[in-house]
Amino acid sequence: MNAPPTVETLPLKGLRVIDIATVIAAPYCATLLGEFGADVLKLEHPDGGDALRRFGTPSIRGDTLTWMSEARNKRSMTIDLRTREGAEVFKQLIAKTDVLCENFRTGTLEKWGLGWDVLKAINPGLVMLRVTGYGQTGPYKDRPGFARVAHAVGGIAYLAGMPKGTPLTPGSTTLGDYMTGLYGCLGVLMALRHKEQTGEGQTIDAALYESVFRCTEELAPAFGMFGAVRERAGSSHNDFAVPHGHFATKDSKWVAISCATDLLFARLARAMDRPELATDITYGNQKTRLEHRHDVNEIVRDWCGSLTREEVLRRCYATDTPAGPLNNIADIFGDRQFHARRNLVAMDAPDTGEQVIVPAPVPRLSETPGSIRSLGPKLGEHTDEILRELLGLDDAQIAQLRERKAI
Amino acid sequence: MHPDGPTAGESNLTAMAAPSSSSPPDAGRTPLAGVRVVDVGNFLAGPFAATLLGEFGAEVIKVEHPEGGDPMRRFGTATDLPDATLKWLSESRNKKSVTCDLLQPDGVQLFLKLVAKADVLVENFRPGVMESWGLGWDVLHAANPRLVMLRVTGYGQTGPYRRRAGFAHIAQAFGGLNYLAGFPGETPVLPGTVPLGDYLASLFGAIGVMIALRHAQNTGRGQVIDVGIYEAVFRVLEEIAAAYGLHGTVREREGSGSFVACPHGHFRCRNGKWIAIACTTDKMFERLAAAMGRPELASAEQYGPQRKRLAARDEVNRIVTEWVGSHDRTEILNMCLAEEVPAGKVNSIADIFVDEHFAARGNLARVDAPGLGEVVVPGVVPRLSATPGRITNLGPALGDATQDVLTTLLGIGADELERLRALRVI
Repeated sequence: MNAPPTVETLPLKGLRVIDIATVIAAPYCATLLGEFGADVLKLEHPDGGDALRRFGTPSIRGDTLTWMSEARNKRSMTIDLRTREGAEVFKQLIAKTDVLCENFRTGTLEKWGLGWDVLKAINPGLVMLRVTGYGQTGPYKDRPGFARVAHAVGGIAYLAGMPKGTPLTPGSTTLGDYMTGLYGCLGVLMALRHKEQTGEGQTIDAALYESVFRCTEELAPAFGMFGAVRERAGSSHNDFAVPHGHFATKDSKWVAISCATDLLFARLARAMDRPELATDITYGNQKTRLEHRHDVNEIVRDWCGSLTREEVLRRCYATDTPAGPLNNIADIFGDRQFHARRNLVAMDAPDTGEQVIVPAPVPRLSETPGSIRSLGPKLGEHTDEILRELLGLDDAQIAQLRERKAI
Repeated sequence: MHPDGPTAGESNLTAMAAPSSSSPPDAGRTPLAGVRVVDVGNFLAGPFAATLLGEFGAEVIKVEHPEGGDPMRRFGTATDLPDATLKWLSESRNKKSVTCDLLQPDGVQLFLKLVAKADVLVENFRPGVMESWGLGWDVLHAANPRLVMLRVTGYGQTGPYRRRAGFAHIAQAFGGLNYLAGFPGETPVLPGTVPLGDYLASLFGAIGVMIALRHAQNTGRGQVIDVGIYEAVFRVLEEIAAAYGLHGTVREREGSGSFVACPHGHFRCRNGKWIAIACTTDKMFERLAAAMGRPELASAEQYGPQRKRLAARDEVNRIVTEWVGSHDRTEILNMCLAEEVPAGKVNSIADIFVDEHFAARGNLARVDAPGLGEVVVPGVVPRLSATPGRITNLGPALGDATQDVLTTLLGIGADELERLRALRVI
């Protein structure tokens, strides 16, 4: 991270966000806003809270590491929206909130009497992010949706894997969740701008599968115009460029090499000490390389296989060839660039002293950088504090809510 | 629509509402009306951030070299239009093109005038390149103290690798994503043949721009947003850093499955098509067992608890694989959906074109490209209720707005335009 900013310099200071969502997609939108200074109230069911507390590797405290990392900067309050008192407290909080993030199945909030019409009447400037697998409309809107399914429906799972082999997980089972959090956050920031200009709030309807599909470049136009169905391409995608993929090195590690233009291939040829490969009569032109993709890939494969990863990369960097290691997390922890950019932040869990290393905020703003001020909170850690501070409740009132299991 | 395409697609496409793209642009209702973005980047990492802003009403001026412009014009599937691949047409939507040669002093002066009238500048040259042209942050900031500058590169503006060539696939590999795609112990495959890293970096970048615009509005001060593609990728990998830091756990490739849940993967149907099934919790497995007509599988003694399923994952996956393989995809999907099991088709683009949900949501926008006809492109994401985004035009012809922008915005006269043109500055 950059020099830790004080809360006063955070650009979203003064913005209040309620996150009643679960797992990653909509909550990640709130996480992003929180990194830049928004006050994020995580509202959770009293019985166990957000399921993200249980997905992945447990910390000493019990909540998983994903929770500790991704619920950073949030305050946790328990509330049961299905109780009359709980719904009432929620409405009072909504009146004092700029952004609401939710990801219940379509119709759920409405069933509890907390639909958009009700919330908008309480707070006309409210910006409400609604994340579901398939969106709020359309024939599949009521289907359960997870990122795994969204990758499949949105078209990228089909594209990952060996040709004609099993379609594979595109690296991580929650990519679509993060992507939707990003699109959702962008939508929220635009809606906030509109609200500040007009006073009008609105909903943002984000579907997991749409975030994935929006990132498929010319997949749709190429099918629409030419009927071209892109297939799985294994470790090299050579529809437009050769070489462009993953190659094994002598020490059983992997490098990525990507020569999108003739200029870049000429640099690779020099790195391989075979400049003659990049002439007009050999493989200097992309068109020729595409026609002879198997030969070109074999030459590159043989070369990579004859050297260690370090040596392949040293030679590629020397001629400015786009190449890099396929880092695993151990590689990343030992990498100079990650350290120089402070991409890894060590935080202490306050109650257990356990040190948790988490990814730093992205993107990096020069004047108003984001920050991690705390890891994921304990369930209900801030319930009393929030009820006192925002709604002015006293101890007796809070005790009563607790007795009725509304919080 | 391709004439040989599935016939069901025709009716779906015709019926599609495409609310985001077919509604007429209404400048008063776009949240970014009045925001001017200068996009001097190439390809997608960075320029896609400008695309996102343009969909919601920002005026995006793409500044390109007079000789050929952005190389993305020639990357991807060519069309009958010169210098306009489908990738260019789709992802440079809503932009206008102005030519300007930044290698010439006159070009630099022209660019500075343009930046003085802009709110946002997007660039993705290697660190030091803009500086070498006399267009570093100090100069730009002096010309426009409110300017928000988005800089996207493979490795970011700082650190030992900052000057290395970085493209999406390299940065994705460096950021840790590509290592994770593939079967355990086998060749790491591409995590889908799309430049995910470019899209992720641009999404983070666009969010940074929105936050910085807000700060500039409140304080009058602009700033720089520095995004390394690799860190955008690394930021979305859940707990892999924390788990390695605490326990030394190195996450490996997980094939078509997942380490934390079972069954959670892709299964082949009788007709050779694939389906995704994700039983993240015990309750969902119970539903799957019901869908399979074998509720006993979800008992506490058998595979009810996730712990037991993970311990016996090969056996559980074998049972599901057999069941899925004994029916066609439509039957499997219907049986899953009847029990509310999270499941979906592993769609190819051909499947997507005939899907009723894509049609109903307007995810396939049909936009006219003058001289080419209709092009089907992904619609706008996300969907805002009061101020939806829109697509007004596909990727522009090189320099289509040069004269207009220079005359109207910068007040440059006809003689000067002629001079700049003769010198090939524009």
